[in-house]
Amino acid sequence: MENRRPAHRPYRAIRPVVALALAFGLLFGGPSAAFAQEADETVVLNLATNADPTLNPWTPGAVIESNLINTILFDQLTRYSPEDLTPVPALATDWSASEDGLAWTFELREGVQWSDGEPFTADDVAFTFNDVIKNEALGAQSASQFAPIDRVEITDDHTVVFHLNTPFSALPYYLASFAGIIPAHVLADAENPLEVASFNKDVPVTTGPFKVAEFVPGSFVRLEPNPLHWAGEPRLAGMIFRVIPDPNTQVAQARGGQLDVVTRLNPNDVAGIGSGGRLEVLQQSQNLFFFVAPNHDDPRFDDPRLKQALLTAIDRQALIDSLLDGFGEIATGPVAPMLGALYEPDVPTYPYDPEAAGAMLDELGWTVGPDGVRERDGERLEFAMPTGQFGDLVPATLLVQQFWEDIGVIADVEVMEWNAYIQDVVVNRNYEVTLAWWSMPPTADVAPYFSCDAAQSGNNIPNYCSEELDELMRAGRRAITLDDQIEAYSEMQRLLAVELPYLYLWYPDILTAKSVNLHGFPEITAATAFQHAVDWYVAR
Amino acid sequence: MTVYVVRRLLQGVLVLFLVSLLTFFMMNLAPGGPSSLIDFQSTAAEREARLARFGLDRPVHERYLVWLAGAIRGDLGTSINQGLPVSRLLAQRIGPTLTLGVASLVLAAVFGIVFGVIAALRRDRWPDHLVSTVTTLGMSVPNFWLGIVMIILFSVQLGWLPASGSYSIGRGFELGDRIRHLILPAGVLAFSLMPNVVRVTRAALLEVLASDYVRTARAKGLYERTVLIGHALRTALVPVVAMIGLIATVLFSGSVVIESVFGWAGIGRLAIEAANGRDYPVILGVTLLAGALVITVNIAVDLLYAAVDPRIRHG
Repeated sequence: MENRRPAHRPYRAIRPVVALALAFGLLFGGPSAAFAQEADETVVLNLATNADPTLNPWTPGAVIESNLINTILFDQLTRYSPEDLTPVPALATDWSASEDGLAWTFELREGVQWSDGEPFTADDVAFTFNDVIKNEALGAQSASQFAPIDRVEITDDHTVVFHLNTPFSALPYYLASFAGIIPAHVLADAENPLEVASFNKDVPVTTGPFKVAEFVPGSFVRLEPNPLHWAGEPRLAGMIFRVIPDPNTQVAQARGGQLDVVTRLNPNDVAGIGSGGRLEVLQQSQNLFFFVAPNHDDPRFDDPRLKQALLTAIDRQALIDSLLDGFGEIATGPVAPMLGALYEPDVPTYPYDPEAAGAMLDELGWTVGPDGVRERDGERLEFAMPTGQFGDLVPATLLVQQFWEDIGVIADVEVMEWNAYIQDVVVNRNYEVTLAWWSMPPTADVAPYFSCDAAQSGNNIPNYCSEELDELMRAGRRAITLDDQIEAYSEMQRLLAVELPYLYLWYPDILTAKSVNLHGFPEITAATAFQHAVDWYVAR
Repeated sequence: MTVYVVRRLLQGVLVLFLVSLLTFFMMNLAPGGPSSLIDFQSTAAEREARLARFGLDRPVHERYLVWLAGAIRGDLGTSINQGLPVSRLLAQRIGPTLTLGVASLVLAAVFGIVFGVIAALRRDRWPDHLVSTVTTLGMSVPNFWLGIVMIILFSVQLGWLPASGSYSIGRGFELGDRIRHLILPAGVLAFSLMPNVVRVTRAALLEVLASDYVRTARAKGLYERTVLIGHALRTALVPVVAMIGLIATVLFSGSVVIESVFGWAGIGRLAIEAANGRDYPVILGVTLLAGALVITVNIAVDLLYAAVDPRIRHG
C-alpha cells in the first residue's frame, strides 16, 4: 500500500485513547464497530492480474485477466449478497416476474451517472442485451448463458422488461454473474461495440465505484474513486492492478508488501504466504466442479452402472490431498454446497472402494482377461482419454488412469497443448473420456451444461441427453418461489447422481490472499468481494 | 562498402519474406485458434461467429495474401486477442526490451571481457578457477529460478530493490528510479549471457599470448601493459565481437523469460502471450521484428569485424 494523498489525520490526538479502547474492547468482547470502521482514505490498494485486461465484460476472451477488474468498473443490474449469494439490488432496485414467468420487469436506479457525467438509463440496458449480447454476429463472451432472453423492452427511462422464450427463474442470478452494463451513448455507433480500442484498452466509460485513471499496456491499470457513484464515494484513494504474469512473482511481491490482494492463489503457495504476517488466506467458494466426462456417443455408457463403477474406483480424497493440498471437497453433483438450501446432500456418493467397483464391473460382464484387462465379448474395457496442458488437468488425469488400472480398466492418455485440446476434444468431441471443469453462476440452473439442446455443439461436453432430466430442469426454471425451486432441483440432483452425465470429482476452494488490514472484503466468493469494492477499506 | 551494405539489406528483405511465409503456415498448422475466439466455455455458435468476424474461416493461403498485401503497405494487422494494431503493440513494447537488452548486453560484455582477461592472465591459478566456477553457474542456473531467488533476496527479504515493472507507478520519469528497476532483470540476464563472453575472451587471449608477434613485442622490451592492451587484446577481441553479436540475437529469447518474471512490459512477454493465445497477427509481427533485429545486428557485427581486424575488408 502506498500513501498518495497528503496524510490528514484528524484523529491523531486521540490515538492513544483509541488504542486503549481497542485493548479494552478485546478484553470485553471484541472491538466496537465504531473503531473498526475507521478507514485510512489515503491508501492506494495494489492488486495483480496475470495479463492485460480487456475493459469490456462482453468482449470475446475477456476472462480470467479481466473479470474481476471489470466487476469493479461495470456495475450490473444485480449483485450477490455477501451473506447468502442471493441477488440484491445494484443498478436495478427492484424486479418481479409475470405469472407465466416469461416477462421480468426491472426498475432501474435513478440518478446514476456514467463516469463521463451522462445519465444511466433504460437505453443502456436495452443496448447491452439487444444490440450486444443477443447480436449473434458479435459472439459476445458468455452470450449463451442468456439464451432464454428474447429481447429487452424499454417501458420508460427507468423501467425495462425482459421478454423470455422460456421461464428462467435464475435470471436475477445470471444478471449478477459478470454481466456488466455498458454505455449505449459511447458504444452504440461503433462498428463493433466489443472491439473499440479506446474503450477496451484505455479509459472506458463506466458506472462502478472506481474508474480508470491510466492504462499502461503490459504494466498496470490505475483506478481512481468515482465520486459520482450511487452507493457513495469509495473509502480508498485508488487501486492499481499490476500486470504480473508469473504467479510465483505475485506471491513474492505479496510477501514483500508490494501487493495487497492476490486472487486465484495456487494451493502450493499457501504455506509460503504463511500465517500471522501481513497477509491472510481466504478459502472462498465458487459454483465450480471438476469432472471426468464420459462421451455418451459411446454406447458403452448407455448403462449408468459402468459410470458408477468407474467413479467408485477413483479415490477422490487422494486427488484432493495430492493435487490441492487438501483445499477442496468431494463433489456430489454439479451444484456446490455453497448454494445452501438448493444443494441436495442426500444423493448416492460412490465412496472409494476398488473391490466393489470390480464386483460391479463383473456383474456387467466386464471380466478380467488373461492380461489383467477387463473385457466383454472380446472387447477390452479401454478408453481414449485426451487431456490438455492447463492447471492440474494432466496430473489429475494420470492419477485417474492409475486408479482405473487398479481395477483392470485402461485409459489411453494423450497429452495435448491447451488450444489443440479445446479444438479437438471440446469442440469436436473427439474423445471417450476426458477430465475438465465447469465454472457456473451460483444457481442450481445448470441447463447449459446438461440439456439435450446443448449436446454435440453447446457446453454439454459429454453429449448426454435425457428427456426426464430436461423436464426437471424446465420445472426448476418455471419455479418462482424458493420452495418450488428446492423441490425441482433436489429431484434433478438425485437423478444426476444416479445417471452420472459427468463423473463428479471435486469442488476446489478458491484461495485468495489479502492484507490483514483490508476490511469490508466479503469472504464468500471472489466475484462477490469485487462487486462490493465500494465497501473495502484499510483500517488506520 | 555501400554496395556491400545495400546488398546485405536486400538479402535481409528476402529473408524476412521467407520468415513470414514459414511462420504464417507453421502457426496455422498447429491445431486450435486464437484463445479469445476459442475459449473453453464458449459454444460452437459463438466460436463460429467470432472466427467469421476475423476472416479466420477463409483458407490459409488467402489469409496470407491479405496479410502480405497489408504488410507491404506497412499495415501489420490488428491483434485478435487485444484488439489493438500490431504496430502500436510493437511500438509500446520495443522500448523496455531495448533498454533491458542493451543494459544486459553492456553488463555481459564489460564483466565478461574483464573476467576473461583475468582468467587468461592467471591461468590455472585461483582467480581462473573462481571465474570458471561463476561462469559454470551462470550457464547452468535457469534464468527464471535465479530471477525468483533474486526477488526473494533483494526485494522481499532486504527490501532494497523493486521486484517488478520498469518504473514506480504514478511518478514521472526519474533516472534513479528507472535504474533501480533495471538492476535485477538486467543483472540476471547478463549473468546468464556473460559465460560465453568469458570463455571466448579467455581462449582467444591465451592463444594470442602464445603467438610469435607477442613474443616479439615482449622481446622488444615493451611494457607488459602495452603488449596486452595494444597488441594482444585487440586481436583477441575479433572472436569476442562475434560472440557478442551472437548473444545480441539470443537476447530476445532470454528476455522472454526475464520479462515474465519481472513483470517487464516488453516484446518478449508480448511474444509469449501471442504464442500462448494464438494471436496470429502479433506472432507474425514479433517474428518479423526479431528477424529484422537479427539481420541488422549481423550486418553491424560484420562491419565491426573490419574495424577491429584490418585484414577484413568488405568490398
